[in-house]
Amino acid sequence: MRSTLAILALLLAAVAARAGEVRGRVVGAEGEGLADAVVFASDLPLRAHPPAAVMDQVHKQFVPHLLVVPVGTEVRFPNHDQIHHHVYSFSRAKSFELPLYKGEAATPVTFDTPGAVKIGCNIHDWMSAVILVVPSAYATRTDADGGFVLDLPPGEHRVVAWHEHAETPLDETARRVAIGTAPAEATFRVVVRPPIERPPILGARGIP
Amino acid sequence: VARVGIRRVGTFTFPPARAKAASVAGLMRVVAVACVLGAAAGAWAAEWETPRDWPVSLRALLDVRVGQGTRAPAFTDRGPGKTRYGGDRDGTGFERETRVTLSQLLLELGGRLPWRLVPRVELGLETASDFENRPLLVEADVRREWGTWERGFGVGAGLMPPPFSLEHTGPAWTPRYTLTPSAGGSWVWEELRTTGLEAEGWRVLPGRLRLDVLGGLGWGTDELGALLSERGWILSDYLSGVNVTLPLPVPGKETAVFSERDGVPALYLWTTLADVDDRGALYVGYLDTAGDPDVRGLWATRFGTVGAVVHPLAPLDVVVQWVEGETRTRVAAWDARFRTVAPLVSAHHGPHRVSARWDWFEVSDMDGPPRSDDHGNAVTLAYLLAIGLRHRVGVEWIHTDSRHPGLAHADRSDDAWQVSYRFRY
Repeated sequence: MRSTLAILALLLAAVAARAGEVRGRVVGAEGEGLADAVVFASDLPLRAHPPAAVMDQVHKQFVPHLLVVPVGTEVRFPNHDQIHHHVYSFSRAKSFELPLYKGEAATPVTFDTPGAVKIGCNIHDWMSAVILVVPSAYATRTDADGGFVLDLPPGEHRVVAWHEHAETPLDETARRVAIGTAPAEATFRVVVRPPIERPPILGARGIP
Repeated sequence: VARVGIRRVGTFTFPPARAKAASVAGLMRVVAVACVLGAAAGAWAAEWETPRDWPVSLRALLDVRVGQGTRAPAFTDRGPGKTRYGGDRDGTGFERETRVTLSQLLLELGGRLPWRLVPRVELGLETASDFENRPLLVEADVRREWGTWERGFGVGAGLMPPPFSLEHTGPAWTPRYTLTPSAGGSWVWEELRTTGLEAEGWRVLPGRLRLDVLGGLGWGTDELGALLSERGWILSDYLSGVNVTLPLPVPGKETAVFSERDGVPALYLWTTLADVDDRGALYVGYLDTAGDPDVRGLWATRFGTVGAVVHPLAPLDVVVQWVEGETRTRVAAWDARFRTVAPLVSAHHGPHRVSARWDWFEVSDMDGPPRSDDHGNAVTLAYLLAIGLRHRVGVEWIHTDSRHPGLAHADRSDDAWQVSYRFRY
């Protein structure tokens, strides 16, 4: 009987804590959908121990190009290439370097300050990626059309939209979103500059 | 040679007017407060910004050396020395010289052009010799690749050294394991330049092997053989430009890095078979200048190279490369065969790297005086310490033991050392 009550109590708690949804789009200056934008709540608490994350290196590219993690996350940087990489960042949110290594030899890095951390390889100039360190556990990425669905707990929250190539300051994208019984909707407008991609050299002329 | 010194500068005295000083101090306080407030307001925003990417990139490499070369002057001073830096001539022969020198200043321009074209330009400045003191054009090419790492192909055009050296894989194509490349590496990378076209294709084969085949044709190699035939092998990281001439031992004689006498391009092939899991890779290369040795001033040169890079343990690199070929020319009797091999073992742990290499080299005269014969060996020990992203300190010792009967006063056995500080931006 006691166990049945305990299970019932847990189920009730789960229903009560069930997140609401915010649906919407992140659009650019001309109203076009922006893929790979990140929408996150900036005023919600963190989970106690965010799970570890991985930024891999495969075929002279970082994989994924964009990694979104909550503050306090430990990120591993395995190098699955057959060559050495020298990973570094000079970003304000996290400055670090992992000198020449292969495999799993690099020490994991803990990202303890919110912000965008641009990482690169000191040998292969075209390699770049971004680790977005968000201040809460509530974050999501847009799809190819700029659409997103963000789960949030009930209440009113401050939600912002970020993009790697944004010209619009993050604070200007902020919205107050109320999560109640009905699904909420929000559209974020972020002006972006055109990306400048540096193609990798994969043949014999590429730096080993 | 850059001599180190301390330049004395004048002393400045500020005017004693207190009122003016007070107003300046007040203004500075206002500016300081404004800066702090501005920084505080912008701090949150700045955390979320990513640096803007630019279509053009510029990197630089500066290498300063302190070292003592062999007693014999280096080839850049028309001497018979085997290392990059050598001694000086005095009344009775040669004497050692300790130098402080700007070894290299390299600028790398990169970026992106339309249609995913990747341009690369490398310029160098070397002040260690007196024969040339102008910017050296080391590389200037444009590449385009299609496909993925597993399967693809690419084309390139411009000035580019055939990618034959297994050692020149460091920043700005500098040697990775030592300060000084092997004899073979010195010749095929530091002194060989082709200007032309190349194409390559690659794919991953069954058995987790990746095959890359690159073929090219390039102009400007018609005097390539003169260096080995008249001067012999050297161990030097003097990075030639296509726009310079290199001195030969005979006073007043020199050879152009770019020389095209018959309009026929050299052909080259470079094949790489690499283990996808990085246990090692095999390399085979061949170059034929395809020149007519009856053309005046032309050296018909052809050579092959075979090499391997093996990693028996993750922190261990074993590199070996063999180069063998021949060169023929109509002028004088400088026809010669040449060969060299250099096994190298290098261990690295974090920022530390220790390398040991043994070189064996030989040039055999094919047609009598003047004598091209040059043979010997060298031992190179190097320790390199990377300090952060930008700095590296290196120490190297080379012992050479060689004979070159055609050159007067060629040292039979000698050694050299150098300490390098490198800044990479």
